[in-house]
Amino acid sequence: MSLAENISKQFAEVSNSNVVELRKNAFTAFEKLGIPSSRHEEWKYTNIKTKLNEQLSLTPVDSQVNAAVKNYIASLPPYSFRIIFLNGVFHPELSIVPDTKGLTVCSLREAFGSHTTLVEKHFGKLINYNEEHFAALNTAFVNDGVFIHVQKNVTVNEPIYVQYFFTASDINAFTQTRSLAIVEEGASIQIAEDFRNASNINVQYNHVSEVFVGKNASIDIVKLQLEVSNAIGIHTLESQVERDGKFSAATVTFSSPNTGTGSAIIRNNVTARLIGENSHADLNGLYFGKENAHIDNHILVDHVAPNCTSNQLYKGVLSGDSTGVFNGKIFVKPDAQKTNAFQSSKALLLSNDASINSKPQLEIFADDVKCSHGAAVGQLDENALFYLRARGITKEEATQILTYAFAHEVIDHIHSKPIRQFLCDKLKDELKVNF
Amino acid sequence: MLSIKNLNVGIAEKQILKDFNLEIKPGEIHAIMGPNGTGKSTLASTLAGKEDYEVLSGEVTFNGKNLLEMSADERAREGVFLAFQYPVEIPGVSTTNFMKAAVNAKRKHQGLEPMDAKDFLKLMREKMALVEMNKEFTSRSVNEGFSGGEKKRNEIFQMAMLEPTLCLLDETDSGLDIDALRIVANGVNKLRDDKRSFLVITHYQRLLNYIVPDYVHVMYGGKIVKSGGKELALKLEEQGYDWIKEENSELV
Repeated sequence: MSLAENISKQFAEVSNSNVVELRKNAFTAFEKLGIPSSRHEEWKYTNIKTKLNEQLSLTPVDSQVNAAVKNYIASLPPYSFRIIFLNGVFHPELSIVPDTKGLTVCSLREAFGSHTTLVEKHFGKLINYNEEHFAALNTAFVNDGVFIHVQKNVTVNEPIYVQYFFTASDINAFTQTRSLAIVEEGASIQIAEDFRNASNINVQYNHVSEVFVGKNASIDIVKLQLEVSNAIGIHTLESQVERDGKFSAATVTFSSPNTGTGSAIIRNNVTARLIGENSHADLNGLYFGKENAHIDNHILVDHVAPNCTSNQLYKGVLSGDSTGVFNGKIFVKPDAQKTNAFQSSKALLLSNDASINSKPQLEIFADDVKCSHGAAVGQLDENALFYLRARGITKEEATQILTYAFAHEVIDHIHSKPIRQFLCDKLKDELKVNF
Repeated sequence: MLSIKNLNVGIAEKQILKDFNLEIKPGEIHAIMGPNGTGKSTLASTLAGKEDYEVLSGEVTFNGKNLLEMSADERAREGVFLAFQYPVEIPGVSTTNFMKAAVNAKRKHQGLEPMDAKDFLKLMREKMALVEMNKEFTSRSVNEGFSGGEKKRNEIFQMAMLEPTLCLLDETDSGLDIDALRIVANGVNKLRDDKRSFLVITHYQRLLNYIVPDYVHVMYGGKIVKSGGKELALKLEEQGYDWIKEENSELV
């Protein structure tokens, strides 16, 4: 089936005409944009074009729940909310969504029908499909994803855990998933999005999240990319924050040992647009690259309104011949006086062949602002290593302990306690630290 | 217990210790004094195994074993402890976790199982009392935001936890006010016994009022130029180092 046939087949399944129009436009835009090559400034260090399979298949394929999926679900902490997708297809029988007053959690497909007006008002409004290649592709081809709506002044204390599994046996599958979260005035919620390759082949996926943070509302998103070997994953997270709102996003990427010869490429595009006065964005990231893993974080904080604050803290640990990319943009628009924006990118290179490309990019059009950025690349502090060794701790263990300490700072920023604990354990496992 | 023979050590092409000799027996306290830049801290760092220091020649035997062949961490597990002149801050690692790793590394070396959580906490409490350390320090990151005095107390606390046989105190008195000095010295005195030996490096006689040494050595130009009892420290306090420098002007 051609790309054009594909899209028309999917349009037939979506009843809302406005969304059909949007998808058509996104498809036209994608036809112009294509898959970016490394000649494109935003893709300079991540050569996606030569890595994606040429015969992309965008039709979602559902498949059986395999042992890897079952085992992983069984290993999850007892989350109250658990939403499971397999190859982009919602699996209600694996999901748990307790009825909660003021909260809607359902599949996006269902929401197109049950919350038509709300979805129509927000879907696709935060992405720029004329410039974002993969957001355009996703908008045109998306099959399903999660829809979350929190009503005014409702606080949801338990995290909403959304799990995207990839189990397909089709090497050409390029799964398009999407989430839409709307948090109304004074409401608050925590969301975790977990992406996992549960197949034994290379998988490819493209996920887009749109997040609307209302006045004085707060949202914490944690994106978990915990086994990124044998995967090409492209993530776009777009948010808009109104007056006094708080948006916090953490992206945690671990590459497990590569089992095959495939690529391990993760690209994160995270955008926070502060459109209301006195709003705040906290964007954090932690990434562990091993072997041939390639982990690219492209961050943008757009200060549109005055008196807003933002923080970016990205930390990477790279070994083998892995590469990291950090591109952190801070835009301060002319009206955004009294902006206070901070950015920090730090990477530990644990081998001679590991590398990082770090690029801060500040564009400031207001005159009364505080903006600072710092980038550090290096090895562990020799004095600290010696201090630990002078207490009898082996060099290997001292390295693990100090790497744990370096990485833990990012996890400390995650507000949801069960997710923080889960990641803390994961980090200890990864670094074989046993305290 | 410790025997240093004709030790020559350099750093970055510059020789610091020159034919250094010292013999320490179990239970003894030796003080090393001397003006700045004579190699006192180089001696401590070399014995602890800091890799920046290059041993050019000589022998160091510790409890019958060749110390110079061991890595820094091996030396520590064998019972050498360096109380740092400038303790390092380790953000993100709590004192409890740090000590757990250190204590269990030593136990593993001795063929023992890791200590159970309850016994470990009991041991921590007991040793913290020795240097009047507040319980809150255990959950704070190692040395992070500690005052100078707190850092030095933390060194002695760690020493008490690890029960070394050779304690190297590298200018432990620097940056301490009189109260902190008393607490630190009391801690050290409580750890004295007939098997544990101390090498106390200091500029000033003041510390030696509290930690009374069996021997006092004066270092100059990378070697010991004078040895005596505790009265030597008093003479240095009174007369300064000028007479030492004059007597040994050929060394520098």
